Amino acid sequence: MRKFRRKSGAVVTHLSSYEVELLVSLVSQLVEMISDGEPESYLQPESSDPFELWAQDLASDPDQPETHDDPVLQRLFPDAYPHDARASSDFRRFTERELKTTKIADARLVLDRLAATERGARELRVPAEEIQAWLRTLTSVRIAVATRLGITDAESAEELSQLPDDDPRAFMASVYDWLGFAQETMISAL
Amino acid sequence: MAGMPETEGGQVTPAGSTAIAERPLEESVAQTPWVTIVWDDPVNLMSYVTHVFVTYFNYAKSKAHKLMMQVHTEGRAVVSSGTREEMERDVAAMHEFGLWATLDKSDQ
Repeated sequence: MRKFRRKSGAVVTHLSSYEVELLVSLVSQLVEMISDGEPESYLQPESSDPFELWAQDLASDPDQPETHDDPVLQRLFPDAYPHDARASSDFRRFTERELKTTKIADARLVLDRLAATERGARELRVPAEEIQAWLRTLTSVRIAVATRLGITDAESAEELSQLPDDDPRAFMASVYDWLGFAQETMISAL
Repeated sequence: MAGMPETEGGQVTPAGSTAIAERPLEESVAQTPWVTIVWDDPVNLMSYVTHVFVTYFNYAKSKAHKLMMQVHTEGRAVVSSGTREEMERDVAAMHEFGLWATLDKSDQ
């Protein structure tokens, strides 16, 4: 891809059909993971009907673990209180649903703009009001890819930049670099 | 919490509120400021972290950059302070942006 650049109230670039397909795949997987396979249930705006809210609350599994098992979800939805598991769990119960809804709504905006490129035939155009959604989604995707690559600190990140070409992680490492480039150039274009 | 000045013959009480001696313990604790801490992580771009501090907190670019560098070099930085409720709101916002943030009492 080329760098994002500013163009009449938007940031634009051209992606290859391959890049569009890749980004669509990564963002879709992110949505699946965050919504636990049920993205539709996060589309409805929060009801103001107290009984509906109560029903929604009851519907969530009481046996669900307080924190997530998947390290990607652990990083996307971290504990808020370092010294207080109970407070963290309360915070999670009150905020996680809204956080997931935002991430999924952001992802949908990204998928819609990607679809508008007609598999790279047209330029990718991100209007100013959708840039934050793109930056947040790119961050979530980068976090997911980094976690899968085992990037836990500066050292492991460094190691990844020096992989031999035949290392099984080489492809994902190049995807990770590319995502970083996309995000960096988008910020530069602001 | 600031102490009330004592005058001869008894404690001064501010109009319309209870004297310090009568204030419940929970309220005293509630006065302690809380802070939002952003932690370093190997994923987030320095430019992105700076962008988040400018966008969400409305900090000047120089202040945002300074805080970001503190996160980067020291592993963490206090990015805001206030009531517990306000800090919960800031932490939730940081999580929305994909940063790793926690809240804590400011004297921890």
